[in-house]
Amino acid sequence: MRIATAISATLLLASAGGAAADDLSDLRERLEAQEQKIRVLERKLELQDEATKTATSATPVVRASPQQGFRIQSADGANVVRLRGVLQFDGRYFPDDVTAATADTWLLRRVRPILEGTLNGIYDFRFTPDFAQGKTVVQDAYIAARFKPWAVLTAGKFKVPVGLERLQSATDIRFIERGLPTSLVPNRDLGVTFGGDAAGGVVNYAFGYFNGVSDGGSSDGNTPTPDAENDTKGDWAARVFFQPFLNSDSFALRGLGFGIGGTYVDSTGSTATTLLPSYRTPGQQTFFSYRATTAASGATPAVNGTFADGERLRWSPQAYYYVGSFGLLGEYANVSQDVTRTTATAGVRSATLDNKAWQVQLSWFATGEDESFRGFTPGSVFSLENGTWGALEFVARYHELDVDDDAFVGGADSFANPDSSASKASAWGVGINWYLNQNYKWSINYDVTSFEGGAVGGADRPDERALFTRFGLQF
Amino acid sequence: MSNYFRIVAACALLALVAPLAQAKDVTLLNASYDPTRELYEQYNAAFAKYWKGKTGETVTIKQSHGGSGKQARTVIDGLPADVVTLALAGDIDAIAANGKLLPVNWQSRLPHNSSPYTSTIVFLVRKGNPKNIHDWGDLVRSGVSVITPNPKTSGGARWNYLAAWAWAQQQPGGSDATAKEYIRKLFKNVPVLDTGARGATTTFVQRGIGDVLLAWENEAFLSIKELGADKVEIVVPSLSILAEPPVAVVDKVVLRRGTREVANEYLKYLYSPEAQEIIAQNFYRPIDEQVAAKHARQFPQIKLVTIKDFGGWTAAQKLHFADGGVFDQIYAPSGS
Repeated sequence: MRIATAISATLLLASAGGAAADDLSDLRERLEAQEQKIRVLERKLELQDEATKTATSATPVVRASPQQGFRIQSADGANVVRLRGVLQFDGRYFPDDVTAATADTWLLRRVRPILEGTLNGIYDFRFTPDFAQGKTVVQDAYIAARFKPWAVLTAGKFKVPVGLERLQSATDIRFIERGLPTSLVPNRDLGVTFGGDAAGGVVNYAFGYFNGVSDGGSSDGNTPTPDAENDTKGDWAARVFFQPFLNSDSFALRGLGFGIGGTYVDSTGSTATTLLPSYRTPGQQTFFSYRATTAASGATPAVNGTFADGERLRWSPQAYYYVGSFGLLGEYANVSQDVTRTTATAGVRSATLDNKAWQVQLSWFATGEDESFRGFTPGSVFSLENGTWGALEFVARYHELDVDDDAFVGGADSFANPDSSASKASAWGVGINWYLNQNYKWSINYDVTSFEGGAVGGADRPDERALFTRFGLQF
Repeated sequence: MSNYFRIVAACALLALVAPLAQAKDVTLLNASYDPTRELYEQYNAAFAKYWKGKTGETVTIKQSHGGSGKQARTVIDGLPADVVTLALAGDIDAIAANGKLLPVNWQSRLPHNSSPYTSTIVFLVRKGNPKNIHDWGDLVRSGVSVITPNPKTSGGARWNYLAAWAWAQQQPGGSDATAKEYIRKLFKNVPVLDTGARGATTTFVQRGIGDVLLAWENEAFLSIKELGADKVEIVVPSLSILAEPPVAVVDKVVLRRGTREVANEYLKYLYSPEAQEIIAQNFYRPIDEQVAAKHARQFPQIKLVTIKDFGGWTAAQKLHFADGGVFDQIYAPSGS
């Protein structure tokens, strides 16, 4: 009996123990299943995060910024299209009553939507039409392939690399109109350049070949066909510019740059296509031009004008220096031009005329911003609510353009008429630029220009006093 | 005008020659699929040494890895890969057909249909094989959790899928319909779809999810090598598929970058005995007979179908993996 009881008790205990083990095993399986579910959910979230990051890194970027306009770019930044624009509305006033009354005017000086961008991280392009002054001109239309920083091939219509102030953007120039040396160097032309930055930007160089334009001109002014070759000979152009302390720690010297640019051509014009320029004052009035061809009229016989006939060499040493709130820009330009004129009394007269110009510009941010050749960042923006006024800059300059005296030798047979063309223009100017923010700028300039010659009987042309103002928008 | 022509030609020539002036240092980009990281890390070092000895040039090979299909799309979208070493020919076909970056006959340019190594699909299970998984049929049992990547983005996943399809078809009474039903059940047991094979390995090995990983043979061996045989083990199914990962030079990229010669040699060198040894060391099946014989014991004997049994990659892609194909018809994410 005892044995039977013991066996029964043992079996009962074993049965109870087995049931508990089954429950434990079941519990363990359920727990593992729950753990698996949690792990799966965590992994799915992990994968979702990865997918989101991947999608984000592949999503094109759309940006609108005051500095760089409106931009669409691929996720890797290799393909970019940017819409920018420049609008400049000028007021011109001549208080001296000497300049033609019609010169007082409001003027749309620049109306330029700019489409630019980069393809495949290498190929830049820019297209800039200009709708100002009642006409449409293609200012820039070029492709630039940046194979290396020092190997950039540019083809199309763009600024010829010569004049320093000419190469400064229209939104960065400190005066409403550029100085007199710019009258001697080419503006925009059609051609090809090869160049770039070497040694981390310490050396910038470019050399190229262009259709050729007259002094201060753009190829859209070429005759008889705008934006086309006009003399069967192209201009060679080259420029090298150094910023030796660009990457140095020297605050005082970092903003120093100097260089030289120039062009050369040997071509012959005609009385119909003279290939010769006129020069304008800071007030944009013509003060010098070569004698033009006129047809016979009644008792007045026909007159042959002057035309380019041989070599034209331009060269322009240049420099700037920016330190803190102060800026200094200077350049010299010289054009050595072979000319010819045929008259009944003197026959064929030829000469090499050396016209030269120079300028010095000073600029100072009274509000403390740093001066630079390209762009700047205002310390504050104009806001009546916050009591901030933006950036205020004072500028001053002196500039001259001196035409070779030989141009006026020969009386009626001279290359230029001393009774209507001045042999020298000397000008000083002051101005204020008020940058309300990076996009809006108001400027006022006052320039006084004195002349040598240019009036009847060898007298001096009266001084020109020009008061210009500009409302500018750029983005 | 001849003057203009000369100037333009001179500038263009200068522009072309200038970048080549520094041709002593060459960089290649190899866009590859997920599990080849270790293989190419070792191979790139060997090739750089070989190329330096042969030409004196220093070549640096950059790698890009991801799901094979995803990599193909990235190359089509502009990734400047000089060479592609992908999981299956269909993905390089897509680069040829949709990206026009290399000729459609690219596969005939190198030996063995441009596949310098092969592999196959095996199972990786937890140590002791607690779910008692031995063949494809076990994968559709209730309670078995299967890890495989997404066939839409992963070449390895497509090989997995086709191996499973082939097994189901070859079962008694098997047909396309039964195979489709089998695949539907199989993917019902897949809790999570990674975009590539390496991601799936991470899910199974590091995150501890699932009971079985459908894996490249090389990936399975690598997992054992890294984790130890006490953590996971390989199960060889009764039937699998011969995976032939191909390689190709991307013509338009090498033409633009001036890297054709080194890119061609980079792929040709994969067939050399030295490279084949590296391939075997990384658990890919070498195509060189001597190297294969040397490592024969490393690779289990399996009955293998090939892509030809599916009519080639174009037909397989269209039927199974294209938008609206069989996979789209049978797959619904778990929980949806």
